Amino acid sequence: MADITLYHWEPNANSGKPMLALAEKGVAYDSHYIDMLKFDQHQPEYLAVNPQGTIPAMTHGDRVLTESTAIMEYVNDAFPGPDLMPPDPRDRWRVRWWMKFMDQWLGPSFSMIGWCTFVGPSLAHKSEAEREAMIARIPLPERRAAWRKAMFAEFGESELAESRRRIAQGVKLLEEELGKREYVASNQYSLADINIFNSTYMLPVGNGDLCSPEATPNIWRWLKAVYRRPAVQQTWAMGSGRFTDRFNAIMGEITA
Amino acid sequence: MTILYHGEPNGPSLSVLAALYESGLDIDCKPIDLLAGERHALPGVSDSVALDFAVEGEGPVLVADGEAMSEAVFLAQYFDEAAGGCGLQPSDPYARWQMLMWCRQATERLSPAVAYLGNLAWSQKRLAAMSQDEFHKLAGAIASEDLRQRWQELRDGAVDAAKVEDSKTKVAQFVARVEAQLVDGREWLMGPFSIADLETYAWLRPMRELEATAFAGQDRCRAWMDRVEARPSVQEALGRATADNSAHAFAPGPEINRWG
Repeated sequence: MADITLYHWEPNANSGKPMLALAEKGVAYDSHYIDMLKFDQHQPEYLAVNPQGTIPAMTHGDRVLTESTAIMEYVNDAFPGPDLMPPDPRDRWRVRWWMKFMDQWLGPSFSMIGWCTFVGPSLAHKSEAEREAMIARIPLPERRAAWRKAMFAEFGESELAESRRRIAQGVKLLEEELGKREYVASNQYSLADINIFNSTYMLPVGNGDLCSPEATPNIWRWLKAVYRRPAVQQTWAMGSGRFTDRFNAIMGEITA
Repeated sequence: MTILYHGEPNGPSLSVLAALYESGLDIDCKPIDLLAGERHALPGVSDSVALDFAVEGEGPVLVADGEAMSEAVFLAQYFDEAAGGCGLQPSDPYARWQMLMWCRQATERLSPAVAYLGNLAWSQKRLAAMSQDEFHKLAGAIASEDLRQRWQELRDGAVDAAKVEDSKTKVAQFVARVEAQLVDGREWLMGPFSIADLETYAWLRPMRELEATAFAGQDRCRAWMDRVEARPSVQEALGRATADNSAHAFAPGPEINRWG
């Protein structure tokens, strides 16, 4: 049994970040799949690990770590293997800047659209009483409010429009950024690439108008380079394919 | 050529100036009037994405070789690392994770709350008094639509009562959090002094006047704030004030979490 256990959902968005960082470092871990749509994260077994009920979480010996970006930074600092932070201080600053931009500005907009179009509808078959019971088990008030919105389709048109505006703006900024250097934030593959790839690889599937070889050649080049990494292939093989199959099909056509 | 453009020593400008002085790096500092929009008209900026789209809003900007650098915590980490490690970050990976988690809570929960309350209390009138032409010119230089919207709402005096209440609660919760962290008698938040002390102090300082009740009975927190304030780096940063009361200096800050 490994000294490290990762509690995660699909190799996507937040769960995918520590999965990819561990794979890049070559660190073995026990994988504990938490089915978010079955609300495993709010069951007593998981709340005993992370009382906040958020995923992912990682245990390393008796330490419990939460927050996907911070877990990645810990993984990079704590284990040998390739350094996923560049050595230059300004490059390191840029890696952090882009991760915050994704975690707090662009990511929430991706998330809102995803929850509105995917997460909410996939629970619509449950009775109102069942959904209320699921919500009642959520520890954090902010998360309760978010799940309520998704389960009862309470998103307002103006907030969805604002999220779509931010996604278009964010893709434009990322395209410009990737025109400056080989990878996001520096010329070496880093935590910023892992972070941003996890939330943007679905762009060609869901936002083909914003992201395509013609519209965003720099993002396209970068998506292909990251996708080809053995750590990505190895990690995606651990998922159900729920998200990655369609991207695999697109990439298969391109790289064939 | 590297220049740090900073506002009055309050919030992010205070923590970044203090971190610079802790590092001992020799970097030119130039004061700017954040509430006059001067941050959006800096000379010599050829790469402005981090200035234009800083999650932090109107914070200090380090311009290095034409690249604008922003976000107070990351600038403090930059100073620490550019100085070859000046003790602002723990070297143990777990202690580092704990410090980063603390700083994230401070930047995601505390700073938007303080910025919301501080701007309404002390900056709204000055913005409202600006002529239409003057404000139009200022807002026109702001690249980010949502940041521009926060400026507009502040000028209009649009007060969201739920956000005010939520912000007051978050300030009180953070003071209580600091108090609990210090209960074992430690001198600094993470044990050894770190960026977490500077970041937290810099945002709590203006609340001692505005949200005084949040500090009532929180003696460890108040004593810790006095200790942070007594550090030579913080004194030097506070010494750069030009306003009568730098704790009243605010410009639109980070937005209150909209989702997720």
